[in-house]
Amino acid sequence: MAQADALTAARRRPIEDRPLAWLAPLFLLLGALFLYPLFDVTRLSFTDATDAAAPAHYTFASYRSLLGSSEFLAMTRVTGIFVAASIAGQLVFGLLIAALVCEGERRRLPGAALVRAVVLVGWVLPGVVIGIIWKLLLDESGAGIMAYAASLLGARNPIFLSAPVPALFWVTIANVWRGTAFSMIMQYAGMKTVPIELYEAATVDGAGPLQRFRYVTLPSLRGILLINLVLITIATLNTFDMVLPLTGGGPGRATEVVALYIYHLVFSDFQFGRGAAVAVVLMAIGLVLSACYAHILQRERAA
Amino acid sequence: MFGGPSPRARRLAGSAAIYAGYIVVGLIFLFPLLWVASLSLRPMAELFAFPPRLVPQHPTLAAYRDVLTGSPLARYLLNSVKLVSATVVCALAIAVPSAYALSRLRFRRPAQKSAAMLGMLAVQLISPLVTALPLYRWFSALGLINSHAAVVLVYVALSAPLATWMLTGFLDTVPLALDEAARIDGCTRLQSLLHVLLPVMLPGLASTAILLAISTWGQFIVPFVLLTRGDLYPVSVGILDYQSSSDSVSTHLLAAAAILSALPAMLTFLVLQRFIVGALTAGAVKG
Repeated sequence: MAQADALTAARRRPIEDRPLAWLAPLFLLLGALFLYPLFDVTRLSFTDATDAAAPAHYTFASYRSLLGSSEFLAMTRVTGIFVAASIAGQLVFGLLIAALVCEGERRRLPGAALVRAVVLVGWVLPGVVIGIIWKLLLDESGAGIMAYAASLLGARNPIFLSAPVPALFWVTIANVWRGTAFSMIMQYAGMKTVPIELYEAATVDGAGPLQRFRYVTLPSLRGILLINLVLITIATLNTFDMVLPLTGGGPGRATEVVALYIYHLVFSDFQFGRGAAVAVVLMAIGLVLSACYAHILQRERAA
Repeated sequence: MFGGPSPRARRLAGSAAIYAGYIVVGLIFLFPLLWVASLSLRPMAELFAFPPRLVPQHPTLAAYRDVLTGSPLARYLLNSVKLVSATVVCALAIAVPSAYALSRLRFRRPAQKSAAMLGMLAVQLISPLVTALPLYRWFSALGLINSHAAVVLVYVALSAPLATWMLTGFLDTVPLALDEAARIDGCTRLQSLLHVLLPVMLPGLASTAILLAISTWGQFIVPFVLLTRGDLYPVSVGILDYQSSSDSVSTHLLAAAAILSALPAMLTFLVLQRFIVGALTAGAVKG
């Protein structure tokens, strides 16, 4: 009886008490401009669609042809190196700078906050501007500053972006420069939550600064490091705007990471089906990583 | 504080090592910007000076004047300001009621709420490039390529979830007693949101708006795909166009253009820092 009353009460809930009424604009917008496109790109990936008006046929050919394509394999290799080296660099430098800033604040050294702000400025720059800045730094003519620095070290006519291996190296360096700030601020926030008593106890036990970092800081940061790892992996996989002004994916296709590859397939070659197939693979990786992220987040909250 | 029995000299050496680290980090992150600023302040004759020097011999603002009057950069900047402000206003208009529902209303099942929150995070994690292909096809079919309104619509869809996420977190810190008092006085939920909660949310709205503005300013893929007419480009796409038409004798102009397109985001970031501190101290006073 009481249950039935509760049910009618729920049904009679005034419209202003229903969450959906308030969330409707957001859900409509996301449905039309995000969810439905995701569905549509998946559908397109199973077709042979091009920019031609001719109706497309459903087929698995896009996925099959990718696996046999040497371009796709080369792109996978380039993206793999770029992502692995970028996240390693961003994690290590982020952690190092965060530790430097935290230790400076602990010792009340002036300048710690300034260093934090300087690192963050690079992070708010638009990606295209970062690409242009590094392109200007890496100018291979005598007027370029990095070329000059290299010549002081004895390297005449250094090559930065005009040969495949150095180009991938420098694109990765530029990406580490861009992304380190994000890792730094996450690790910094994490370090601030480590109870100060732990450090005091470790000091009493005779631990030096390096041992305190190894046995107190690092174990406490495990959860944050995992979340950080997932987020920067996704961000690096999606890198697009920074590479365009820097190398445009070249020389040849030496720095054509996955996002550029999709763009070229779709908007230069007009192979909508194949481009969609790669986009779906990228989306699937993103979804798996998001699930990991959600999982870690919930575990951390429970802990 | 942590030195314990260790001698003072060791502590000093430690601090010196930290400062050495600060100088290296500062140089790595500041030098690229300083170099581009230096390029932008040179007359053309000094572009090829050898050996290169950081401080120009005859610094001049001519490159800035030339790039603002003799190139479409001013147009690009204006387009960006238009797109960003429309996006921030629309995204907040959608995010405020959504955040209200997520913070204040009872969901029939708690799982629905956490699913909505996690779903919104997932939007941040999927590249706009994935949705760009279908959106491009639809908008071409509808004749909406080269429409700023269409670009704003997609921007809003991409940024409203983040805004909702941030504002929900902010509303959760506002005591329930505040809007309950208003409801007892006879306000509808909408009235209590508009007249009671919104004024309290102002710091949260401001920092959300600033974060959205910075991320939308740098947004690249959506306008790159949906706009083909140069006079409609925002600065992120426009400066790429500008770069492809520049050569080594106009490096100072490209450098000035890069500085000008980065400046709004950088200045806004400095304001954001102040707002974060402001929000923190306001909370402390109330608490």
